[in-house]
Amino acid sequence: MKRTVPLMIVMVGGILMILQYFIPHQISQTIFAYYTDWTPIILAFALVLGVGSLTRIHSHKIRRKSKNWQYSWAVLIPLYLMPVLAHIWPGSLSGGMDSPSIFHFIFMHVQVPIQATMFSLLAFYIASAAFRAFRAKSALATVLLLSAIIVMLGQVPIGELLGKWFPQTGLWILRYPNLAAKRAIMLGVGFGMLATNLKIIFGVERNWLGGAGK
Amino acid sequence: MSAVNIWEKMLNIDRRWIFLGIAVVSIVPFFINFGMPVVTTTEVEDIFYYMDDLGPDNAIFVSFDFAPGTQAENMPMAVAVMRHAFHNNVPVFMTANWPLHHGMMLAAMEYVFNPSTVGFYQEVPFDDWRELREADVTAKGELVEAWENQGNQLSEGALGWVFEGRDYAAMGYAPVFNLVILGMTVSIETQYPVDAHGNSTGEMPMLQEHKSLREVDMALTSSGSGACVWWVTYAREKIGLPIAFGLTAVMATDYYPYLQAGQVIGQMGGLRGAAEYEVLLAENGITPSTDKAFTGMDVQSAAHIFIILLIIMGNLAFFAGGFHKKTLLKGGR
Repeated sequence: MKRTVPLMIVMVGGILMILQYFIPHQISQTIFAYYTDWTPIILAFALVLGVGSLTRIHSHKIRRKSKNWQYSWAVLIPLYLMPVLAHIWPGSLSGGMDSPSIFHFIFMHVQVPIQATMFSLLAFYIASAAFRAFRAKSALATVLLLSAIIVMLGQVPIGELLGKWFPQTGLWILRYPNLAAKRAIMLGVGFGMLATNLKIIFGVERNWLGGAGK
Repeated sequence: MSAVNIWEKMLNIDRRWIFLGIAVVSIVPFFINFGMPVVTTTEVEDIFYYMDDLGPDNAIFVSFDFAPGTQAENMPMAVAVMRHAFHNNVPVFMTANWPLHHGMMLAAMEYVFNPSTVGFYQEVPFDDWRELREADVTAKGELVEAWENQGNQLSEGALGWVFEGRDYAAMGYAPVFNLVILGMTVSIETQYPVDAHGNSTGEMPMLQEHKSLREVDMALTSSGSGACVWWVTYAREKIGLPIAFGLTAVMATDYYPYLQAGQVIGQMGGLRGAAEYEVLLAENGITPSTDKAFTGMDVQSAAHIFIILLIIMGNLAFFAGGFHKKTLLKGGR
């Protein structure tokens, strides 16, 4: 029962969704409307489950004083504080999400700089990695290296100043060899997804059940 | 000291020197404005000229599908298209596919409406022009005239008025955004009964004129993730909505197949793409000058040159030192 019911739901739901996409009939539109109403409701339960699970794990770490337990406060405090500031804190005391509000201030002055900093660090590591690992060790590696240099120069104004052929060749690499390779990869991934989805819908692939009912 | 040792020392250089170099080339160009020319490409021109043909009877979506991590690249694209739309009086629906992205939408609005921004637009909140709306004055020309007749003056440096609900609607984040796109192909109002500020969208003139995505003329997704494809899958393929991509530089290479297949009208790739749009805006007199992306191109030029020099130096030391014949090389810090 634990396996049969989920498998049936997936099979019926999957087939219905495939059919409704290609049949522009009122019935299929109604089915789709039901689906779009149900999905956020199911996801809302998933959110409760996720927040509950995160709270349990981190409160457990704090109680047990596990390694780096202090950082668990950094997870739990914003997790509960931000929704409170956005939705419960009175507007007269700078509640809400719109500017000016405490929520907006924290978002703009804590979250935004943290994320921007984390992403910016990539430039430093890319430079270091390029110096240490980008070697013309073989013919293929040399092609990759030269292509990278041409595209890098072609993407910036200084490349145009060094020679008009840099941006032209860079664009040619992006528009033709890159496009051909990407299309091949995307087609491969697409067919793979189609096959996997059909296997899931028809119950051939059952790993997603996580061993339930065994 | 033998020659080999020099090359080995070079290869094992402390990486903190490399970090320092990147820091210098990233900071210095902000103080010394080189203003190197940015040549536009057809990928960006196609979006610009498509946008330029739109007018008050049309409407576009600008979807903020990026987080703060990629805002340096994605924000200027969204801002540039917003300013282009406001210049041509094209109503703009603004959405976000994730809660964090909602904050980016608010940040973009703050920037475009901020009097300290060169070429800002003066915002009129929804409630402030309720009387005119109730008197059925909603056409942009008449609205501006009536608004100014009430004694309202355009601030110095402002490029024009933008009325909330007439010129823009900040719809914001809605959960399960791919389904929201699908839902909007039938009705925008059912997906967003209220906007991000709690205003009833049904009362907005722009929503009364553009009830679903079928009555919208373009959607720009300024995206830092694969979510940009949702717009193609659920809006372009289902109802034929023209889509424009604004992508980070690392993503841009992945989406050329969509461009070549004609599924998107154009794409802005990274800071370069945004800078190209800014150049087109300035050249056509839509904005008084270029903006942040164009300034950032000097930084990117310096950083790219520095990285290329590092690659050349690394290869020079590797081959000149004969390390290509060896299997072991001590790692640097």
